[in-house]
Amino acid sequence: MPSALPDQLRRIVGAPHVLTGVECSPYVVEGRTPEAVVFPGSQEEVAAAVTLAAEQGLPVTPWGGGTKMWVGAPPSRIGLVLATKRLDRILEHEPGDLTVTVEAGLTFDRLQAELGQRGQWLSLDPPASDRATIGGILASDASGPRRHLYGTARDLVIGLTVIGADGRAVRGGGKVVKNVAGYDLPKLYIGSFGTLGIVVEATFRLRPRADVDRLVVARFDRLADAGQGARAVLGSDLIPSALELADGEALRRLGLGGAAALLLGLDGIAPQVDWQVDELERLLKSRGVVDQRVLDGDAREETWRALGALGRPGADTVAAVMRWALLPMQTAELMEAGAAAARRHGMGAAMTAHAGVGIVTAVLSGSADPGPVSATLEEWRSLVTAARGHAMVSWAPLAVKERVAVWDAPGPTLRLMRSIKERLDPRGILNPGRFVGGI
Amino acid sequence: MPPLTDARKKSLRREMEALLGKGGVLSDPEELMVYESDGLTLFRALADFVVFPRSAGDVAALVKLANREGIPFVARGAGTGLSGGCLPTEGGLVISLMRMNRVLEVDYDNQIAVVEPGLVNLHLSWAVGPQGFYYAPDPSSQQACTIGGNIANNSGGPHTLKYGVTTNHVLGLEVVLPDGELVWLGGRTRDAQGYDLVGLFVGSEGTFGIATKIVVRILKKPQAVKTVLAVFDQVDQASEAVSAIIARGLVPAAMEMIDQLTIEAVEDAFGCGYPRDAAAALLIELDGLAAGMAAQAERVVQACRDCGARDVREARDEAERALLWKGRKSAFGAYGRVSPAYMVMDGVIPRTKLPYVLGRVNAIAAAHGLRVGNVFHAGDGNLHPNILYDPRKPGEEARVVAAGGEILKVCAEVGGSISGEHGIGLEKADYMPFIFSEADLACMQRVKDAFNPAGLCNPGKIFPTNKACVEVGPAYRPHPIEEKGLAQRF
Repeated sequence: MPSALPDQLRRIVGAPHVLTGVECSPYVVEGRTPEAVVFPGSQEEVAAAVTLAAEQGLPVTPWGGGTKMWVGAPPSRIGLVLATKRLDRILEHEPGDLTVTVEAGLTFDRLQAELGQRGQWLSLDPPASDRATIGGILASDASGPRRHLYGTARDLVIGLTVIGADGRAVRGGGKVVKNVAGYDLPKLYIGSFGTLGIVVEATFRLRPRADVDRLVVARFDRLADAGQGARAVLGSDLIPSALELADGEALRRLGLGGAAALLLGLDGIAPQVDWQVDELERLLKSRGVVDQRVLDGDAREETWRALGALGRPGADTVAAVMRWALLPMQTAELMEAGAAAARRHGMGAAMTAHAGVGIVTAVLSGSADPGPVSATLEEWRSLVTAARGHAMVSWAPLAVKERVAVWDAPGPTLRLMRSIKERLDPRGILNPGRFVGGI
Repeated sequence: MPPLTDARKKSLRREMEALLGKGGVLSDPEELMVYESDGLTLFRALADFVVFPRSAGDVAALVKLANREGIPFVARGAGTGLSGGCLPTEGGLVISLMRMNRVLEVDYDNQIAVVEPGLVNLHLSWAVGPQGFYYAPDPSSQQACTIGGNIANNSGGPHTLKYGVTTNHVLGLEVVLPDGELVWLGGRTRDAQGYDLVGLFVGSEGTFGIATKIVVRILKKPQAVKTVLAVFDQVDQASEAVSAIIARGLVPAAMEMIDQLTIEAVEDAFGCGYPRDAAAALLIELDGLAAGMAAQAERVVQACRDCGARDVREARDEAERALLWKGRKSAFGAYGRVSPAYMVMDGVIPRTKLPYVLGRVNAIAAAHGLRVGNVFHAGDGNLHPNILYDPRKPGEEARVVAAGGEILKVCAEVGGSISGEHGIGLEKADYMPFIFSEADLACMQRVKDAFNPAGLCNPGKIFPTNKACVEVGPAYRPHPIEEKGLAQRF
């Protein structure tokens, strides 16, 4: 009996923590309005709400900070939005163990601020970190430039608790930094976009904060030269924490100017950072560098933040955003080819890359007409596929998503993925339709 | 499954010989005995066949044959595992990957290598070493263990403190699934779309299929390395120094602890320069940029001194460094000097619990009338208590097993894990409920069923089950590769 749902939810979480009707409008997902939004205050309440939805065959869409709800294919069905923002506690932080256990609704910046007071940090730098929650970051496997040295969520999560489709809590991993007991379930849930379970708690390994942290911007006249610069850095003794490649349009939006640049994160103790700044200058001198400058403090933070924000919708000019996975040495060439393709369709493009790991963020701008936008995205996908890489539409308006697949055509492993999904969520209630292959 | 009849065995042997050649199939009981256990010789089980494929196509054909016949199969590398993970618990087929041992491709610009599963771990670092690269995960059996085995166990090693374990270094896997289909999970690029099947496969202890090609990251060798030996009169001081170093914001590449009993054994066997009268020693390695290295080493030395170290010194040169590491990596073999047999345990605890847990470990061993030597990855909190015993004494082996279970229970109680790197295999399957709920295990079982619905791929491992099919005991015997001096227990 659908009409009884709000009352049943109110009995679980208390009346103030359920939204219905027009109150649900801030929680519309890709044009679809949920029947209710529920804000559980404990893992038990999450479990009870999911159990209730499961009994009624009602889809459940998890919602953290709402910063990435436009990622993925539009949901095939929507019923209950389960918002985690009341699950926002740090449960355990033992500095001597370099581990922290938190609830999923905690925002990333709040966690980082708390850890910072004890001289530690979670070595992840996802975009929109002021609003993004731990659960959402894990579900979408969000990361940033520092993945170059410190890896992504899959390298940092040591334990995870989810509420499964049957309402039962499942824990994988543990609270220690090294652990091979049982299957590595956290890997399965990270990046699964809530299609297998709702993350309610996570334990991370931490790092001590560096004494010194600098951002070096080395500008070039040509993107190809900057690409060769990245190659030289990768082959050198330098150990940057981030190695970003940016084209002229991206630099213009960042307020840095120039035709192309490398942005390096260098952190550690002072002698390490100083030596690397000098060595970088020596290394790039013969490789067409125009200038090199060092940013610190607010300028550094603002540049990193703006770089992360480039790939997010919001600015009127952003028409679509794509994310490419390539070999590191392919990035500069594909960025140039991609920008040229956009121009042929009368569009503009701004491109940045995590140059050491081969991940490109390609931002399409100009006309909102779905025709040229779709045509450009398709051409980008062809370019990337021909290079044996992968492309996903990380953001596009619904009219474009109707024409262009969000995900690449899945290969033979789709059978395995479906098999996992069917066994963990047999009724298909967890965030249905958004993931690869319609999962 | 009923045992295969002799006639059936003969015809299967002929069929597999047609595929692999005459030397590619073993079925004589004497030859099979070499494969009846892994590095944990407490458990033994005989296969009907051991086969040696040369290609992914061979592996797929063998797996399809096993499915057709309904016989269980298990992949095996060098057999250095320490949890009985590659034992054929119900007869059937052991698929040895030792003939698939090539480095297929190295791409230095993109810092990846493509290798076959039977490649010995250290041989990869040798292959890429001349270009200034290495493969980071370094289990102490790395002279013998294979990359494929490392994938199955998600193996670690001393330097995983800084560089992570196997799963942090694997990008893609070509896999023969349990039904014989050949697929790629992940690849050469990052962030494969869909569920992280590579992450799931690594550490699945051979129950999700057989990897036939592996794409790994290779790393640039660090510009500089510094190795420090800190000597303590009390074990607690050494434990506290581990926490103090971490608390001062240092991330050493490795931080290993060796206790007095182990030091004596090592010095008797190899003479590596550890002081015999020390209660414990810490072997601490820093690596990275040369700039600032001296300052970091000074911070480490000071932290050790502040915790009461009676002597702290840096290895003067590469020769001394190599000797100290030899002592550490050969410690297990050296126990032969002080005991006829030992059982190596593998548990993990939060590092701040080291003093408490080491005390409990000693108390448990003493209560069972046993001695224990500790040599382990202190920086990770990954304990290796080695329980010494004499298998000729009636009942002693049973006491060892009981003490081992109690030690793991303590690890679980303080929020730790029952395995840091050796895996669950057969040995610890019944201990899984120490740290996982019935719902956790049910979820893992469902994931297993997704990969391995027929249950023929390495049955009887990881999940609590009876061990009736496996012979336990009667006595410790050195593994053949140990006898040849190729590997040490870790």
